Amino acid sequence: MNEKGLKRIMIIIGTTLMVLICLFPFVWMVVISFTKDATFLGSSYVHFQFTINNYRTVLSDPTLHFLDYFKNSVIIATLVTVVTVTISALGAYAVSRINFRGRMAVPIFVLGLSMFPQISLVGYLFKFIERLGWINTYKALFFPYVAWTMPLALWILLSYFTQLPKDLDEAALIDGASRIQALYKVIIPLSAPALFSTALLVFIAAFNEFMFALLFTTDYRARTVPVGIALFQGVHGEVPWGNIMAASAISTIPLVILALIFQKYIVSGLTAGALKGE
Amino acid sequence: MGKMEYREEKLAYGMLFPMLAFVILFIVIPVIGTFWISLHRDVTFIPGFKFVGVRNYILVLKKPEFWHSLMVTVAFSLVSVTLETMLGLIFALILNEEIKGRGLLRAIVLIPWAVPTIISARTWELMYNYSYGLFNWIFSQVGLGAINWFGTPISAFFAVVFADVWKTTPFMTLLLLAGLQAIPKDTYEAAIIDGASMFQRFWHITIPLLKPVLIVAVTLRTIDALRVFDIIYVLTGGGPGGATTSISLLAFNYYNLGDYGVGSAISIITFLTVLSFTVVYLKIGRFQEGLK
Repeated sequence: MNEKGLKRIMIIIGTTLMVLICLFPFVWMVVISFTKDATFLGSSYVHFQFTINNYRTVLSDPTLHFLDYFKNSVIIATLVTVVTVTISALGAYAVSRINFRGRMAVPIFVLGLSMFPQISLVGYLFKFIERLGWINTYKALFFPYVAWTMPLALWILLSYFTQLPKDLDEAALIDGASRIQALYKVIIPLSAPALFSTALLVFIAAFNEFMFALLFTTDYRARTVPVGIALFQGVHGEVPWGNIMAASAISTIPLVILALIFQKYIVSGLTAGALKGE
Repeated sequence: MGKMEYREEKLAYGMLFPMLAFVILFIVIPVIGTFWISLHRDVTFIPGFKFVGVRNYILVLKKPEFWHSLMVTVAFSLVSVTLETMLGLIFALILNEEIKGRGLLRAIVLIPWAVPTIISARTWELMYNYSYGLFNWIFSQVGLGAINWFGTPISAFFAVVFADVWKTTPFMTLLLLAGLQAIPKDTYEAAIIDGASMFQRFWHITIPLLKPVLIVAVTLRTIDALRVFDIIYVLTGGGPGGATTSISLLAFNYYNLGDYGVGSAISIITFLTVLSFTVVYLKIGRFQEGLK
């Protein structure tokens, strides 16, 4: 066989495997979410019975608190996104445009922080949040999440702002605009794609966070979707897989759709965040 | 320094203030605080917060369970980053080809990344289930026996590794794809004219030119793998018998028992382990140069 043919076959096999591997668990989640009596299926997968009852239960049973968790997750992640993007845009502007002592040190310092293991913060952070009386409030998650998502946001915006020619905002400065005006009248409108990918990545990171949410919430008032789903248990010890998978699908599908639609932004954001030095 | 420059410098600090306030209050001070707690006896049911110096560290270093978790964490990172790098490279090579539907394929690869870790862990937990899980059903269809995935140390270890590789491969794929796309096309064209085969081109062009990105990606993923917590917490809870307890989970268990002193000491050791890798990452990434 010639080389071209061999390569073609390798690509076909590889692509098939790739699609199968990436999609399968996700598809399985959705299938089980529509399956009647998922726990008792045994070896009888062939007897798949379609039902939407799992969704009905998850959305209507108030003792499960799924809608509370979902609402908490969306509110917290949205607030975190708005604040993180705003604050890191200010920081990225300062680092990319103004000469000051420590200009090089700031981003390296912040990037270094993002590598810290979460567990090294929680010993103190738990006691701190408990003492403030913040357990089971949005504040308990909001503040740590903003700090936790900041490094990635700073790096994406910084890599974008440094690419924009300095003449753009310097022209505005000469016309008498202040630095802040130059930022939000010149730089921000030009950086829509970067701001957008930053916002998406921050939102998804905040929506997914687990360890802080597990420790700083004990009931439905501020508990988020990941903790709710991790601790989801049946009444009689039987794990209600149908319900868990329905809750999982409801929480995951919007994120997957976002990821599919804005794939380009996410890819450029993730690679800018990680490979800035290249 | 001129007056203008002084004003600009002050403005820069003002613009950085909110960002630095957040990271200092909620990252830097907590780490220092955890270090402070680690030097004290701090156990919920024993009254009194008492300075004990490095006693907690000595206690931890004497515990076989600590060394075991450290080994589990290192083994987990090695195996999962290796598998993920190989899989990620294969995916990246495919996505780098000019094939139909490349945009859609690239989007599909992103799906595992978009599924929240806890949700993917629970889905895998269901697929691993002994009596009605998908994997054992497939095994039974092809005439193999069912595996009690969470029952033995080795199978539980791999159960966790596979789930983690699935979740984290997209990130590796994206970084490597970015690296592949930066390789100039004419390098390959010249090699083809010289008669280099597909595999020769891969070994003598792709791998050497991809090396810088490969090193950064592997280091970055290793840092992440060393702090593994979520996926183990949900899938095995660290079991059976501590066989999959990572150091983050071990520290977490001590916090849960109310022993903050020892929990903090383990946390600080985790921190130092990850920090050493971070220093390497910042060095090889040559991040300062990007700013000039």
